Amino acid sequence: MIDLAGVSKHYRMGTVEVRALDDVNLHVSDGEFVVVLGPSGSGKTTLLNIIGALDTPTAGRVSVGGRDITAASRSELFALRRQTVSFIFQSFNLFPGLTALENVEFGVDVAGKRGAVTPDAVLEAVGLGDRAGHFPHELSGGEQQRVAIARALATRNPVLLADEPTGELDFRTGAQILELLIDQASDNRAVLVVTHNREISRIADRVIEMSSGRIVSDGPPAGGKAPVSELRW
Amino acid sequence: MLPSARAEAWLRANLFSTWYNSALTVASVVLLGTVLWYGLRWVFFDANWSVISTLGGLMVIGRYNVEAACPGQDCLWRPQVSLLLLTALFGMGWGIAGGGLTKRIAIGVAVVVSAFALLPYGMDTMGMDVRLLLAANIPAVLAGWALARYTPLGSPKWLAISCVVVFLLILLLLRGLSQVPGLQPVPVTEWGGLMLNLLLAVIGIAGSLPIGIGLALGRRSRLPVVKSMCVVFIEVFRGVPLITLLFMSVRIVPLAFPENFPLNPIVSAAVVITLFSSAYMAENIRGGLQALHPGQAEAARALGLAGWQTMMLISLPQAIRNVIPAIVGQFISLFKDTSLVYIISLQDVVGISRAFIRGNVEFLASHKELYIFLALVFWVFTYGMSYVSRRIEQNLRIGER
Repeated sequence: MIDLAGVSKHYRMGTVEVRALDDVNLHVSDGEFVVVLGPSGSGKTTLLNIIGALDTPTAGRVSVGGRDITAASRSELFALRRQTVSFIFQSFNLFPGLTALENVEFGVDVAGKRGAVTPDAVLEAVGLGDRAGHFPHELSGGEQQRVAIARALATRNPVLLADEPTGELDFRTGAQILELLIDQASDNRAVLVVTHNREISRIADRVIEMSSGRIVSDGPPAGGKAPVSELRW
Repeated sequence: MLPSARAEAWLRANLFSTWYNSALTVASVVLLGTVLWYGLRWVFFDANWSVISTLGGLMVIGRYNVEAACPGQDCLWRPQVSLLLLTALFGMGWGIAGGGLTKRIAIGVAVVVSAFALLPYGMDTMGMDVRLLLAANIPAVLAGWALARYTPLGSPKWLAISCVVVFLLILLLLRGLSQVPGLQPVPVTEWGGLMLNLLLAVIGIAGSLPIGIGLALGRRSRLPVVKSMCVVFIEVFRGVPLITLLFMSVRIVPLAFPENFPLNPIVSAAVVITLFSSAYMAENIRGGLQALHPGQAEAARALGLAGWQTMMLISLPQAIRNVIPAIVGQFISLFKDTSLVYIISLQDVVGISRAFIRGNVEFLASHKELYIFLALVFWVFTYGMSYVSRRIEQNLRIGER
């Protein structure tokens, strides 16, 4: 589903050359729940943005959903973002002027899936059926993140990318969000979660550790895959 | 607790809690009482308000209907019909919004304007036709309401189209057509009074918002030519006083045109006021854009919106909503600035009043009354704007983070 071959992202900041990504090779299949682990500045977010076509690599080839995005035109990139990848952010980034339901509907409309998807049902699926008419500021952090996940899911896109999705949430709420993300992988989506929190990597099918723009380890979590209920923050 | 006991407790807690609080209360009461005593005595007994009633229609339409401007005809009906069209627009707004603020404004405008039909002038000064056309504002607002309610015109799109049509109609009506009998042209140099202030303000407001948005986006552009042109425009128009720009518009701009080229001072003034205001508007909107959380644009981009879609659907609406107070402040300041057109010998409400006092020696002593009244007129309009903006903000606050 996701294929990266020799991907690098170098740029100059003043006189210093920054190597955000350095020769990254990666394959992620449908239904895999992958946690990308590493300290700040290790290149996690750059990796996510390149997979999501929000950023372009300076070298290497990236293909997502069978489409080579390194050679894609601007309009093909828009189409890819609309129809293949969905993002979830640390600070939720819901649109403040729209209700929970309208936020989800907006995602559906942009993806061009109106009619194929019922926004109410998606909101119901993340457990917020009764909060449809509420505005983001009337919801708790966990609820906002669930709306954001509903907005991402409603597009029916096969790749789900999450950048520190539990970063602003307390332990219990964070655990619920992670459960929801694992469910999406069971639903045959490729799910990538970026975090600096090593504990979260215990629940992954596969952990990718990054440091200074390189992948330093790739494999199942040490000690085997644990259920969310065993996480200790 | 008895009401009197409760009042006493309130006074004790709020006005006389400590010795210095008591002293402040007493001093304030004495000061306020003195000001009110002398102020009200002057307003009701000493002041001579006859200058206002003598000026009368001159304040509203300037010299539009004097013999020199409109020879051999009575042209007063033309601004009056323009006013009716305007009230009908308010009525349409009310019909579309269905009530609330728009309803209150529409009815308020119609009632206040119609009340002028009851002014205690003699019939020879203010004829029955004038009074009837003023009173017709109430039917006009209802007609606009019915139009929006019972015809397909009742949508925001049609209201916007109607606004443009009415604006052009009003211009045509005021300007006149030499081919049509009874609609003889009135030279624009004779348009004046409050009508001129409002005309310039409406053009300035309607023009400076879109131009300001364009400039704000241009200044954030990554294209160096676009960016630097916008920066230069903004800095030049913000850096020069409006009064200088107005003066330049009639003294310097004509040098670029052939002699006897019919340059219109009202158009010059409208263009200068619009450009001046849009430079400030651009900076207000740019401030709003900069204050946005970057995550909003990021989320929109990740959903697959193109750059311009992100700007139009996500960033701009939020930015504008956040700077409504600054935008309305700019509108208020623009409206007050329209009185500066006296520098290019246009006779707005302030200019014509000053000219009147200078030309009529018997009113020389009435400066105070005149300026206080003018201040009140400007205050009524600007307060109206700020009231509307506050209500809009309240209505938009539902989605605030």
